[in-house]
Amino acid sequence: MASKPNKREENVDILGYLRPDGRLGIRNHVAIIYSTHCSMIVAQKLHSLFPEGTQVFGYPGGCALREGPFHKITELGKHSSYAAALVVGLGCEGTDAFMVAEEIAKSGKPVEAIKINAEGGDLKTIEKGSRILVKLLQHASLAERAKMTPADLIVGQECGGSDATSGLASNPITGVAADLLIEAGGTYMHSEIVELLGCGEILAARAVNPEVGRQIKEMIAEAERSCFEAGRFSWGYGNILGGLTSIEEKSYGCLTKSGSKPLQGILTKYGLPPGKGYYIQEGEPGSGTFHGDPEGVNQFAACGAHLCLFTTGCGSTTGGLIPVIKIIANPKRRQLIEDNADFDATPVILGEKTIQQMGEELYHEILAVAAGKRTKSEIYRHYEA
Amino acid sequence: MVRQKAILLHLQDDVATALTDLKAGDQVRVSLGDRVVEVTLRQDIDFGHKFALRDIAKGENVLKYGMPIGQALEDIRAGEWVHVHNCRSRCWGYYNEKYGIQA
Repeated sequence: MASKPNKREENVDILGYLRPDGRLGIRNHVAIIYSTHCSMIVAQKLHSLFPEGTQVFGYPGGCALREGPFHKITELGKHSSYAAALVVGLGCEGTDAFMVAEEIAKSGKPVEAIKINAEGGDLKTIEKGSRILVKLLQHASLAERAKMTPADLIVGQECGGSDATSGLASNPITGVAADLLIEAGGTYMHSEIVELLGCGEILAARAVNPEVGRQIKEMIAEAERSCFEAGRFSWGYGNILGGLTSIEEKSYGCLTKSGSKPLQGILTKYGLPPGKGYYIQEGEPGSGTFHGDPEGVNQFAACGAHLCLFTTGCGSTTGGLIPVIKIIANPKRRQLIEDNADFDATPVILGEKTIQQMGEELYHEILAVAAGKRTKSEIYRHYEA
Repeated sequence: MVRQKAILLHLQDDVATALTDLKAGDQVRVSLGDRVVEVTLRQDIDFGHKFALRDIAKGENVLKYGMPIGQALEDIRAGEWVHVHNCRSRCWGYYNEKYGIQA
């Protein structure tokens, strides 16, 4: 990688997509959204008929209407990557397809809804849905373009398959890139509070006001309490064998991904962050459960993230509805780096480059992906939802 | 840049982390910004493990990432391996006490 890191000589042009509600997107898809599990297969078949230009996701449950997941799919539908949306429902579910469509349509983009029961089954719905998609895809191709700057970008951060190289290289360089993005006026968020045990005071000291400080301290204290009560930490004998001495040491290695900028707030709901800068996202709001990696990526998307950084040590195939930049620093994973990763951070572990240098290169990679460079997750269509 | 055999993560750190398996007697030089430290290792230090950059007295905080990862259980000399046998944290200590796990 022969980049010349100098943030003052930024000349990457990001030509984004201007949406009717003023949001700026870096990708241009049509969303196919199933409003219940029963309409998932039809939605997936519609996606398979138009794999270029559509993404499919939907309501993870059955009939009952639940606020959290409903909010998630409607916020995803409003995402800046989507020029238009088609909602596919069965007809008897609580998350009525027209209701989902109506909520997404508040963003001003064209949204259509069809119900399998009303159309008369799978085949009729696929036929009608296909005609709608042709129209929506054509609409997407005419999307208005607008210049974007790094200040317009919202970037999420997720980790998975961490190893000893995560805390030494991948996470610290991600923190450097996060700082550069925020200095340029952009927005950055991560989640995984359970990985931050022992970091409450440190993060509270970075909070923009005492209220945010109190909130983050309480959230981490709560995570600590439940871990102590269960006698179970994100910590094991393998960590000790690998050289980690304490939970704090592991947590600090994870915390380096947050960079050094002030903590603006905790995102406890889906939707755009209230401002710019550094945020912590709560995780699946209200669920209290640990999520899988792609779900984590999509939670950031539901908070408006344009793309997601993903640090891994063992390797990962993770994608999601937004481009995922996978960062890996383990020199023993050569083939995986070649095939699935986007950013090779091994020079830090090989002692050839500094964290600062690689962080600057990663920032440039973020801008390149924002400007249209496709990540491996996109090329493989790892559009997990 | 000369190939670094260990990494110093913060200017205030008391330890550096091996980037490759290192041997007792190895002269290791780490640097960050203006700070350059050279130590002779007193023990083998495996990849991912830490060694002291200065003499650390019993009870002192041991800093990595500029933050305390634990307190020294005994005097630790520069170049010595720093791990669960001579460094323990508040959290880990609690866990240790409560569940009887031997570090």
